[in-house]
Order: sequence, then C-alpha cells, then structure tokens
Amino acid sequence: MAAVLLCVLALALAVFALTRRRLLWGVIGVGAHSLVLAGLYLVLAAPDVALTEAAVGFGLVTFVYLLALRRTGKLVVAASPLYPLLYPEGEGIAGLEWEILTRFARWYHRDLELIWVPRAEIPRLLRSGEAHLGAGGFLPTPEDRLAYTKPLLPTRLVLVRLGEGPRGAVAGEPTGKHADPSGKLFEDAAELAHALARGEVGEAVTDLLRLREWTMQDLFSEAETQILPEEYGFALAVTPQDEELHRSLTEFLAELEKSGELTELLRRYLG
Amino acid sequence: MKFLLVCGLAGLLGLLGAGLVGIWPRPEFPDPDPVAKAWGVANAVAAVVLGVRLWDTIFEVLVYVVAMVGVRFFLLGMRWQGELPPVAETPLLRRSADLLLGPILVFALYLAASGHLGPGGGFPAGAILGSALLLLALAKGVERLSAELYEPRLERLEYVAVVFLLFLGAVVLVLGVRTAAAFVVANLLVAVEVAIGAWAVLHRFASARGEV
Repeated sequence: MAAVLLCVLALALAVFALTRRRLLWGVIGVGAHSLVLAGLYLVLAAPDVALTEAAVGFGLVTFVYLLALRRTGKLVVAASPLYPLLYPEGEGIAGLEWEILTRFARWYHRDLELIWVPRAEIPRLLRSGEAHLGAGGFLPTPEDRLAYTKPLLPTRLVLVRLGEGPRGAVAGEPTGKHADPSGKLFEDAAELAHALARGEVGEAVTDLLRLREWTMQDLFSEAETQILPEEYGFALAVTPQDEELHRSLTEFLAELEKSGELTELLRRYLG
Repeated sequence: MKFLLVCGLAGLLGLLGAGLVGIWPRPEFPDPDPVAKAWGVANAVAAVVLGVRLWDTIFEVLVYVVAMVGVRFFLLGMRWQGELPPVAETPLLRRSADLLLGPILVFALYLAASGHLGPGGGFPAGAILGSALLLLALAKGVERLSAELYEPRLERLEYVAVVFLLFLGAVVLVLGVRTAAAFVVANLLVAVEVAIGAWAVLHRFASARGEV
C-alpha cells in the first residue's frame, strides 16, 4: 500500500517538475521526486539503493542544477528609468517595457532581475555579460556595438531651448553628439532636466518621450522646442555574447506583434 | 513517430503487467544470508558488491576513472575568456554551508566505514561527500573552493586511491583474504574516489563555461 502511494506521489512530483514555468520550482520538484523514490526503495527493502538514490538524486543532482541556475537562470536587465516605458512604481516596477520583459522572461523560463544604471553604463555591462538586456527608453547608437531588437516605438530627438548657456545632453545617448564639443554631459535625463530648469544649461537635447515627461512634471514653462530630422526608435539592447537570447527575443516580439498584443500594450501605455 | 511512441509505451505497460501477474518467469535468486555469512559481514549487499562480485566493482570504478580522465582531458583547453561577473554572496547560504558541512562529512565517513554492517558503502558515501563539496562551492564560488582545496593534489589522491583499491582487490581475489577490515578500507577508498571524481568533473564543466 505504501509502495503504491509513494509511486503516485513520485508520478505527481514528476508532473509538477515538468509543468513549472520557473526553473527553480522544477529543480525543487526533481529533488523531491528523487527523495520519494528513495523512500519507495526503502519500502521495497532496498536500503542501499535508497541511500544512493537520496545522495545522488536529491543531493548531488539538485546542487548541480542549483549551480547551473545561478549562472543561467537569471535574466539581468540594466536600465535607466523612463516614464511610461520603464519606471519604479512604489516598491515595484511598471511600464510598457517591463510588461514585455516579464512576459518574455516567463516565456524564456528565466527570472528577471533589474538593475538601475546610468545610460552610459548599459553598453559596458552588456558587453561584459554582467547584464543580458538593456532597456528603459534605449536609443541605439552605432558606437555601443550591441545587438538590438526591432524598434518598439519610433521617436525623434528634440532640442529644448530655455535661455542662454551651453547645450546639455545625456552621456551615452545619441543625443550626446548634438551637444559636442562645448556641451555638458549628464548621467541621466532627470539631472539634465534639473540643470535645464536651474539654468545651468541653456539648451538640452532629448527625445520626444522624455520631453513629454518633463512637460508633465511642469519643470519649466515657456521652452522653445525644435524637432531634429533624424528618426530614432526605442529598442531593447541585447548582450552580443548571447545570440540565442537575441534570436528568442526577436521571435517573441514578432509573435507579440502578430497577435496584436503589442499594439494593445502600446495603446494602453501611450494612449 | 507518434504511433511508434504509443506502441512502445503499450509494450512497456504490457511487460509490466505480465511481470506483475506472474506470467513472466522470475529469476531465482540465491538466499543472500549465507553469502554474507561466508564473507564474514552483516550486510549482504556489501558481501556481493565487494566480495562475490568484486571484479564487477573494480571495473566499475575503473570505468568511472576513465570517464573522469576523459572529461579532464577534453575540457583542458576550454577556459572562459573575459571578465566574469562576481557572485552575490548570501549570508544565509554561507552560514548554512558552514553549519552543515561538519555533520555531512561525519555522516559520509560513517556510511563508508559501516558499509559492511548495514546499508551504506562507498558509493553513497562518495556521493554525499561530493554534495558537501558542491554545497561549499555554491556558498563560496567554484574557483575559490578549488584554490582552497588545492586541486592538483586532490586529483593525485584520487589516482592513489584507485591504485590502492586495485592492490586490495588483488589481495582479496588472489590470496583469498576474507576480513571485515578489507571491506572498510575498500569502502573508504571508493568513497574518496567517487567524491573527488564528482567534484573534479563539476569544476571542469563549471569553469569551462564560466564562473558559477
């Protein structure tokens, strides 16, 4: 009787391990399955095999999987905040890109981890493999030498003029080259906006979405804006070390676009 | 393809059913107790593994060693290029690894040393020792642990254990010595062999693909 019960439990745990989307739960399920099998061997009067099964199946294999998970199980996203693409909300994170990333992570069987970094840091982190994806209103530049997805959202660069003074931009962004050589470079868009509001810089180069954010925050009133001719697009950056990740993300975004969910998301977040 | 799969599954279930209802002839096993008594140990499994079937065990260990050597040889040239991301250390893992290490080691040694008296023996003891090393690797990082263990010396110890095991096998098989002491030594040697082999292979795979 006990043997039959343990058999059923082992089968149930195997199904549990196979159907989990999170890899960690799968590993735990496999470990528990081994432990139940060891119990089954014990009931069937084979204590030597039970010991070996417990030591190898539950101990060794689980630890090997855990070690492997530490290396591959996480998807690290390096990003700088931009409303409404990716921004901290209370304790959590929200935004259009965050929604896409969480869906992708679930589809790709990985846990997401987000680190907030200045825009200029993202290419270095991705090239060294410390992060896998770059997000948060990422405007691709050729100097970054990264892999990119298709642009999620088209945008343009804007020149915001408030008064006299040097021209400011965010370091690392394509806006930077409009600020050279006398311009000032800032770590992120919020610093640039405050510098502009305080009058440290007279003009700022930014993009349409950040200008919208600044206008919504009411940082400054009568600014003169001039839209620059080049066309850009917010995309997700992918580490050049992982071609499979890039392929999978491209495929996932194509599916999202085909099913109309991407349009729905864009409508919900951007109106 | 699906048809073949269904056929295979049905065949397996049929075999299982035939075995359960007793149509399938079952092999006649000799009574294990006289075997254990003849070798002077309490655990019949130990009498079979390290006594009657000692040749099997020796060749099994040799296959294991050849597999380890193969992994070492073919992964020798593969090293991770470029800078590796640091491992985030969690205090919980560090502390639990420190606390658990002692009991695990003692339990593994107990299993190896008492394999001739009850369930246990060299193979599970080696696997448990290997798990203990993996637990430490999880807490400290593979490369650091490898440096602390001084791995080349550890690998030499593995080969020495194999040589001693072969020597012991010769003593038991050729001279016909049947003592419990031979079982204890053989179990300890197998445990050392399995543990170091498991650790070395894991380390090779981990460092060939990058730090864990």
